Amino acid sequence: MNGELILFFILALVAIGSGVLMLNLTKVVHMVIALVFTFLSIAGLYIMLSAEFLAFVQILIYSGAITIIMLFGIMLTRHDDKTESKIGLPKLILVLTGIGVFFAIMFFQINDLSFGEQATELHVDNAEKIGIELYSKYVIPFELTSVLLLVALVGAIVLAKRDDEKEAEDNE
Amino acid sequence: MIEELLYSAPSYLSTLIFFALGAGLLMMVLGFVTYAILAERKVIGFMQLRVGPNRVGGPLGLLQTVADVLKLLLKEDTIPKAADRPLFILAPVIAFAPAFMVLAAIPFSESLRFSDLGIGLLYYIAISGISTVGILMGGWASNNKYALLGGMRSAAQMISYEVPLVMSVIGIILLTGSLNLVEIVEAQQNLAYLFVQPLAFFIFLIASVAELNRTPFDLPEAESELVAGYHVEYSGFRWAFFMLTEYVYLFAMASITTILFLGGWNPVPFLEFIPGVIWFAIKFSIIVFIMIWLRATLPRLRADQLMSFGWKVLLPLALLNIFISAVIKEIWF
Repeated sequence: MNGELILFFILALVAIGSGVLMLNLTKVVHMVIALVFTFLSIAGLYIMLSAEFLAFVQILIYSGAITIIMLFGIMLTRHDDKTESKIGLPKLILVLTGIGVFFAIMFFQINDLSFGEQATELHVDNAEKIGIELYSKYVIPFELTSVLLLVALVGAIVLAKRDDEKEAEDNE
Repeated sequence: MIEELLYSAPSYLSTLIFFALGAGLLMMVLGFVTYAILAERKVIGFMQLRVGPNRVGGPLGLLQTVADVLKLLLKEDTIPKAADRPLFILAPVIAFAPAFMVLAAIPFSESLRFSDLGIGLLYYIAISGISTVGILMGGWASNNKYALLGGMRSAAQMISYEVPLVMSVIGIILLTGSLNLVEIVEAQQNLAYLFVQPLAFFIFLIASVAELNRTPFDLPEAESELVAGYHVEYSGFRWAFFMLTEYVYLFAMASITTILFLGGWNPVPFLEFIPGVIWFAIKFSIIVFIMIWLRATLPRLRADQLMSFGWKVLLPLALLNIFISAVIKEIWF
């Protein structure tokens, strides 16, 4: 039982625990807060895997994204809105067997999986290495992703603009 | 000594030493906060032809903040009945914790630093973003419309101004070729980035004032329109935590500005005999003074002016700056 293992268990517990809480809580804002803890503990797991760059990009992107989700949660729902879940017994049994089968498959597959020798030099200059890989091996997927993001951005503006015009027409 | 610790194998002893160092840093920051608040009141007082606090602790009012904190500690800790209790209690913690966490990445001098992170700058930007969640949470949990309005404004403002803030430092990252704050300072040995990237400096300064929620960008807590914004329902020590967050971020932001643009602990030519920590402190104090000066002299912006200024002025300028830096790097470096 070394420190790394303890840290892993804490982070994994927080990640899974807040994932479960996110599903079981009734208020929207509480769910979003649970989501924050999931994302943060996953970033912690990335740090343990020596992927610092990925970990902090995860925090940077999701802390902004979660704030936006929270804003939408506040603006689009009523203050004391609660979700009530009704699940029948047959559905519950079906879901539980599904989870059991999934666990069995994953367990037997992972049990005798071998990753070969573990890399030990991952933490050295990893931001630089990611950059070099991205701009040499994966240039085309990288550029395609940026085009996709641009399309999404323009699309969002077009949608927002159309609403504006319609409202202006309605007001007239 | 810290250098050795950082590269040695982790043990119980090094954990203890780091814990003690962290506690020491916390005390230092608390000392800074105490006197930054006093300095702010004094400087604003002088700028408005007043005297400022002058009763507690001699004519300079040296113990004024200490007395204020004691008063806060003795105050009744109220939680509104209709508030969302767990979130109301959690919010100041989530707002404050990242403010102190970012200090771990900041090098104060060659030997006085607590980490050697390859991605120090990214760490700072990423972690400081978490505070917004705490502020919005506090605003929502208070179950008060002014608090909610303040929280919403804060979220909109922090996210809008984070974009130009990050974009303005990309020029520096391009010129240094590293995200490591120590390497960024070492790259400024001959010339501070203030002179290489003046446009980036002004964008960064404006965006950082907005990130700190200070006048002229203090819309989240605009006293005259929102009572006190997101912390209107907070009292006593929880309120103190929100205030502390604000001033610890002032500390962190002034430090990061010093490191990125003013050359950190690098001395001015011919004055090399003064140690690096003192140089850092001098540059840091200049930035803090500029922040206080801005607060004393500028009126508050309107919410729509704030948004359009961020997206239509600062962001294009920051993009232009990236383009210019790339060209400069290609030609000269």
